[in-house]
Amino acid sequence: MATAVSTPLKSHMGMFSSRTAGGRLPLTPSPRTRTNALVLSNHSSPFTPERKDSDDIKSKSTYGGNLSSHFAKSKSHRDSPKSNIAKGVQTPRRALELGVSDFTLTGTGCKTPASSRSRKGALRQKSTKTTLSYGDRFIPNRKASSAIATSGSGKLEAGEKRPKTSGGESSVILASGVDDALAALGSLSINDDEPTYSRPSPNTVAYQDSLASACGVSLNQRILAFKPAAPESSKPVDLRSQYNRPLKNANAASAQFRRRIATAPERVLDAPGLVDDYYLNLLDWSSGNQVAIGLERNVYVWSAESGTVSSLLETSSDTYVSSVKWSDDGAYVSVGLGTGEVQIWDVEEGTKLRSMYGHDTRVGVMGWDKHTLSTGARSGLVFNHDVRISQHKIAELVSHTSEVCGLEWRADGAQLATGGNDNLVSIWDARSLAVPKFTKTNHKAAVKALSWCPWAPNVLATGGGSYDKHIHFWNTTTGARVNSIDTGSQVTSLRWSPHYREIVSTSGFPDNSISIWSYPTLVRNVEIPAHETRVLHSCLSPDGQMLATAAADESLKFWKVFEKKAGASSSAAVSGASGKADMVKQMTIR
Amino acid sequence: MSADKAKDKAKTYKLSLKGSAKSVAEFFEYSINTILYQRGVYPAEDFTPVKKYGLTMLVSQDDQVKAYIKKIMIQLREWMIGGKISRLVVVITSKDTGENVERWQFDVQVLSKPSKKSSSKKTSDKENAQPSEDAVAPPAEKTEAELQVQIQSVFRQITASVTFLPELDGNCTFNVLVYADADSEVPMEWGDSDAREIQNAEKVQLRSFSTNSHKVDTLVSYRMG
Repeated sequence: MATAVSTPLKSHMGMFSSRTAGGRLPLTPSPRTRTNALVLSNHSSPFTPERKDSDDIKSKSTYGGNLSSHFAKSKSHRDSPKSNIAKGVQTPRRALELGVSDFTLTGTGCKTPASSRSRKGALRQKSTKTTLSYGDRFIPNRKASSAIATSGSGKLEAGEKRPKTSGGESSVILASGVDDALAALGSLSINDDEPTYSRPSPNTVAYQDSLASACGVSLNQRILAFKPAAPESSKPVDLRSQYNRPLKNANAASAQFRRRIATAPERVLDAPGLVDDYYLNLLDWSSGNQVAIGLERNVYVWSAESGTVSSLLETSSDTYVSSVKWSDDGAYVSVGLGTGEVQIWDVEEGTKLRSMYGHDTRVGVMGWDKHTLSTGARSGLVFNHDVRISQHKIAELVSHTSEVCGLEWRADGAQLATGGNDNLVSIWDARSLAVPKFTKTNHKAAVKALSWCPWAPNVLATGGGSYDKHIHFWNTTTGARVNSIDTGSQVTSLRWSPHYREIVSTSGFPDNSISIWSYPTLVRNVEIPAHETRVLHSCLSPDGQMLATAAADESLKFWKVFEKKAGASSSAAVSGASGKADMVKQMTIR
Repeated sequence: MSADKAKDKAKTYKLSLKGSAKSVAEFFEYSINTILYQRGVYPAEDFTPVKKYGLTMLVSQDDQVKAYIKKIMIQLREWMIGGKISRLVVVITSKDTGENVERWQFDVQVLSKPSKKSSSKKTSDKENAQPSEDAVAPPAEKTEAELQVQIQSVFRQITASVTFLPELDGNCTFNVLVYADADSEVPMEWGDSDAREIQNAEKVQLRSFSTNSHKVDTLVSYRMG
């Protein structure tokens, strides 16, 4: 039997199927078969795939040849439900009800097909007759009959209104059931007078109704499965490891690709006598890979290539070195003094080329743009000097009212940024130095840390002092503040990485650390506790990989914070250096 | 004039129903992905995080799985917009035994039904009375934010359910079933199926969410022992 085989059953149900359902099958074409299938499968699952029904219908045609034998067989079986009841054999109750219910369906049940499909009038009459003839052969269960009564009444309405009751739904099924029956009849080419085949309609109604109410299944619904098998998993999954993983596994994965930053210094040098003064700028690294540091009255030059140190100069005893700055070509170093004098030294020769006067207060900060040297003094004045001509002072930049401690030219020389103890950041257009292009008042403390972004020329980063603790990022074209970081400590210097989208800041009290920030996400990638006391100055090596920091603990430390990945070309640094080498010949300092 | 207005109204409604169906379908897509990830049907490396519903959702990056889900979603969206679906089921099956080990069921109810469209047919297998809409006063429009909060809590629950669901052996596959109206157009790739219920299942009802036109209930059933 197709239904019994295809539907998973419990063992005792199998017994049942062989008796009742098995006996019925030949008597009833498609609709009946379907209900049988539903009854049986009901106990394993309330839903029976329609596909199986259609299989049954197809297979039915094979009976065509020896129908009579089926009938004969079924006749003997047909008595079994009755005998079951009489003997009280354990037959599942619900199935029994369903099995019995067909026989009370005289008037009501048959009306439905008639009302919905008028063309089956003849069929209906026959079914009525046959049903009646069987009616007295069974002892109807009281429960079953009442169920039928209610479902029957529902069907009366269904013919007219089709309300959303189970009766209404089943009437649709019934109609289709009758269609199926007719189709089956047609295919079997059996005489219309054969009474057996007209029975299914009322029976179907009963089955469907009872089932629908018993199982809570909506019969106008299909369960559809997406048939293609799901793709194979690339490997078996161990869920335990999955649960134990950190929730943001993607970030963890990217952590593998995040570069490692060495948190230990590459090298530590003593810097005895380094003046602990935030407003000075005593450390610079040349494009020729030499580090100049001002220690009290001396300027020392440490060659990063050879590791040798030489004393470049010693000032007179009445003053001290307040700032050092390499020219772009790395051949000259300018030295600002406490007296306001600015000296320019040829490092290779070890000779002073010239002295430039003008400031009457100490020169705390300087910046080169080709042949122009800008110097910021305690008075708040910034002078531009053309180092090639004797009348060197070419511009006086008046904006700050207190000591200038930060000054940076943009790489292209089009803009100059200055920061002062008056908490101002001034951004100057090199073509019109009478007034600053922008004056920013956001910082709440002195601004020493200034840095131009190497990949976005109009981005300037500025860091405020101990009362401010902020890094602000500016669009210097529009003057807008684009980002801010609260670092939590005094910002003493800022350096952009030329290779990574990162910026490094050094801090004073309370952290005395080096922090590396991603830009523009502003995530702090690492914080290195760098020195025991505040970091005063920092500078990047010409290849952009190494950061040198000088701190009040009189040490000079080198950190490989922007180490390039192996294989990454350093062509940019090389070409830059060669470009500067050419420039040496062009600039003549008198 | 008034007829025009009514027409406009109907149009608005149609659009909101369509939009709602789309957002429900989208919810299904993320649900399937989340279940596949959380239940280890596919390895975690196959998934990539995306921001959705204010959460970080994990979505499969495997080309085959993506294509498989996409195929399902295309049809699902069509059915959803047609209002043909009353339930979506994700069944997780053991590859070794072929047994259904876990069954995620999402019941869809179409809430309001101003027109006699067959497309918005209600499911009759709900015993609970559906929240009936007042014909006079239409329900207050649900804001995007409210919907997002509701969906968020559903996904949080799905994610949290790994704490009580029995451990799967990691050698599982899945199937998607839909309960569709009998009159739905069924493409070749879809075929009739049984409900794939789990025997002696433990069932846990999760949170629901509702759009202006749909209500979606979530239920997970799993095998004990």
